[in-house]
Amino acid sequence: MATAAHHAPVTDKTELPVERSDIGLVRPDRTTGLLDWLTTVDHKKIGILYGAFAMFFFLLGGVEALAIRTQLAKPNNDFISAPMYNQMFTMHGTTMIFLGVMPLSAAFFNFLVPLQIGARDVAFPRLNAFSLWTFVFGAFALNVSWVFEFGHLQGWFNNYEWYSKLVYKDFAPANGWFSYAPLSGTFGQADAALHAQRFTGVGTDFWIIGIQILGVASLAASFNFIVTIFNMRAPGMTMMRLPVFTWMTLVTAFLIILAFPAITVALIELMFDRQFGANFFNPTNGGQPILWQHLFWIFGHPEVYILVLPAMGIVSEILPTFSRKALFGYPIIVFSGAVIGFLGFAVWSHHMFTTGLGPVPTAAFSLLTMAIAVPTGVKIFNWVGTIWGGQVRFTPPMVLSLGFIWMFMCGGFSGIMHSSAPADSQQQDTYFVVAHFHYVLLGGVLLGLMAGLYFWFPKIFGRMPNAPIAYIASAMVIFGFNLAFGPMHYLGLTGMPRRTHTYQTGFGWEQWNFVATIGAYILGLGVFLAFANLVWTAWRGKRAETDPWDGRTLEWSLPSPVPAYNFAQTPVVTTRDAWFEHKHGGARIGALADGGPEGVHMPSQSWMPLLAAVGFLMVGLGIPMMSMGIPHLGWLVIAGLGVLILGIWLWAIEGPGGYHLKTPSAKTVTPTPTASAHA
Amino acid sequence: MSDSAAAPTSTGIDHKKLIMWLFLASDCMFFGTLISTHLLYRKLYPTGFTDAEGHVRFVQNLFDIELTSFSTFILLMSSFLMALAVSAMHKGQIASFRRNVLGVILFGLIFLGCQVYEFTHFYHKGLTIQNSVFGSTFYVLTGTHGTHVAIGVLWLILLYFYSFTGKLRGHIGALDVEIAGLYWHFVDIVWIIIFTVVYLVEYLGPNGIWGSAVATITP
Repeated sequence: MATAAHHAPVTDKTELPVERSDIGLVRPDRTTGLLDWLTTVDHKKIGILYGAFAMFFFLLGGVEALAIRTQLAKPNNDFISAPMYNQMFTMHGTTMIFLGVMPLSAAFFNFLVPLQIGARDVAFPRLNAFSLWTFVFGAFALNVSWVFEFGHLQGWFNNYEWYSKLVYKDFAPANGWFSYAPLSGTFGQADAALHAQRFTGVGTDFWIIGIQILGVASLAASFNFIVTIFNMRAPGMTMMRLPVFTWMTLVTAFLIILAFPAITVALIELMFDRQFGANFFNPTNGGQPILWQHLFWIFGHPEVYILVLPAMGIVSEILPTFSRKALFGYPIIVFSGAVIGFLGFAVWSHHMFTTGLGPVPTAAFSLLTMAIAVPTGVKIFNWVGTIWGGQVRFTPPMVLSLGFIWMFMCGGFSGIMHSSAPADSQQQDTYFVVAHFHYVLLGGVLLGLMAGLYFWFPKIFGRMPNAPIAYIASAMVIFGFNLAFGPMHYLGLTGMPRRTHTYQTGFGWEQWNFVATIGAYILGLGVFLAFANLVWTAWRGKRAETDPWDGRTLEWSLPSPVPAYNFAQTPVVTTRDAWFEHKHGGARIGALADGGPEGVHMPSQSWMPLLAAVGFLMVGLGIPMMSMGIPHLGWLVIAGLGVLILGIWLWAIEGPGGYHLKTPSAKTVTPTPTASAHA
Repeated sequence: MSDSAAAPTSTGIDHKKLIMWLFLASDCMFFGTLISTHLLYRKLYPTGFTDAEGHVRFVQNLFDIELTSFSTFILLMSSFLMALAVSAMHKGQIASFRRNVLGVILFGLIFLGCQVYEFTHFYHKGLTIQNSVFGSTFYVLTGTHGTHVAIGVLWLILLYFYSFTGKLRGHIGALDVEIAGLYWHFVDIVWIIIFTVVYLVEYLGPNGIWGSAVATITP
């Protein structure tokens, strides 16, 4: 391994002679510009990139949602065709879950976890960069399907032989976000031409490989964060002194590493069915499509908690800050988060009550689903207990957090209704279910994540978001959201089915569908306004103080924006909410004697994570194009695997590298005056 | 990968070792799902598969248990050599490490060779990935395990050559070998489970554990 030469600490790596790996490759050393963003191993920059990509895909998924709502605004509408509608709702769900919410949560994991535990970076900085780029390229591969769909609609491929041989010409995924077999799979005997055997077009292949690559990104990130949280805590930062957001990150990461293998295997099996004529889900040859449902939901239900637990962690940081009270029942909040994690693996079949599981499994899963409401309810009561008697200050993050509690509770209530199997069999595949999970995922997760963005934004960019615009955007989001999804409860209970392209007049659905569409547009504008406010103020906002909210955890003790080495000296904590105690006369934060004249050791940047991820991109584009029947594309897949292995090999032999960065002259953390700022 | 040896960790466990254990936990779920798929379908379709001539073939007639027992033994012994290699590295005996790791590589390659032979042999007996659910689950499950072994062999070959650069030494060198060892032992343990539930149980009772209700096996 390359070892850091002993040198005097520098303020920028470019002051040093270029660093070469063992085989003579020069390592990148810019800390500004495009080269920096492509090769960075700094968890804060990686977090910002995750956030930027996630916000872009949020808006893309939002446009897809508005296309769906526009189509449903009136009966017998033909704004978009039925095949296009299928692709829209599939890509809307997939984009929002895998390219919107999960990476935005990952942005918070990246930015906050090392700061909250008093560390200088994550355990594996280059693996972290690999997670980011693998996510970006997986998302890209998935969305390239739209380019092919566009080309298909424009007639670009009309003269090609492979195109004329395709039976189904839906190029974007069109099976719903869970891609149920056998629709996503195959039928008939294997000796027929493979294309003739599929129920759907190559969009499904884009979906399979896209989700597979995104899974690699999530798994790599989760391994990294578990090690970081277990191993890199500052002295005195015991597990039960961890900020709750870090705790929820840990639970989420465990859910990911234990739930994603199920979908990985399911995707491999489905890919073998489609590409090589295997029979895992082929009903003609004895395959059982129900197996797909089980494998998908063994992953899919923990996935729901993967989405919501980070938002719960964020809210658990915001409410105490703006109530000026410690979180009520910290151990119980942590424990209930862990219980949600465990029970999350035991409730998957409640998605399958109508498949005929038999009375015993149905009753068992019904019971367990009701049980999981208990730890969730405990959290709600603890949040209310935190606000109770506190000195509540209303700020945009606080308003959004309070919205989170309300909206998430509404989603929770309709969730408990689903846990009753007889009721669920009435609600299955209706708009009632759509209303339920949008209350949980939008009213819950999106509001929580937006609250987090507005809360930590001053720390990330050192500037304050515009508060009046934030309030207007929050009001539009909450109002538009209720207007869009509230009526869907009624539509669902009166029988309107999910995933249908249009509906007839005379069912009494016209009025509420129209209202829902208006609500969706208000919601969309609100989200856009909220994001635009952030992007604008990142450049033009007022300078933020170091600790504008009178924060409680270690990240608020650092300057904004946070320097590359995070902590000039490693903090030593003796209590929960260490920074708040430190400021307000409780236990003081100490400091280790590191980071002195020898500077702080920093990991070197690297091209290799990006190179390895490019291998995944080639595989991700090669397999669906091979599946279309375009000749010679198998070589792209093989070349992609070669690039992946090459990237990993070069990564291994270049070693972590490193150099020493100068820090401001050694001094312990000092409290900033805060009392006047918020009086 | 990281500066793991540079700073003490909160748990006292090295970063790299911890991440490998977490990966193995995840891989347990991965193989658990694959093995479950195979067993569910074995229970559902106890008769095996139908070959190209339309004859129903029983799994017991297909398997060559002597060959598979041999390759299982070889893989077990490779784990023994791996343990010796790790121990040698901890003592700083680089020559002994090279000898043992070369043995692991050789045994891994023998195992892979047996699997290639087995796949070809079964294919000629009429079992394909396309003609039955058994073919799909069997080839994908054992093939995935074989891929794990192949990755392990590649990893060890790279470590072997890396040892000649003189950089594989000290605490970090021993740790790198130990982590490769963890992976290798895990892949071996998974094979023990596959050998038991995919191969051996087919020989419980005259028709195997799944086939008691169907017609008697004929040669």
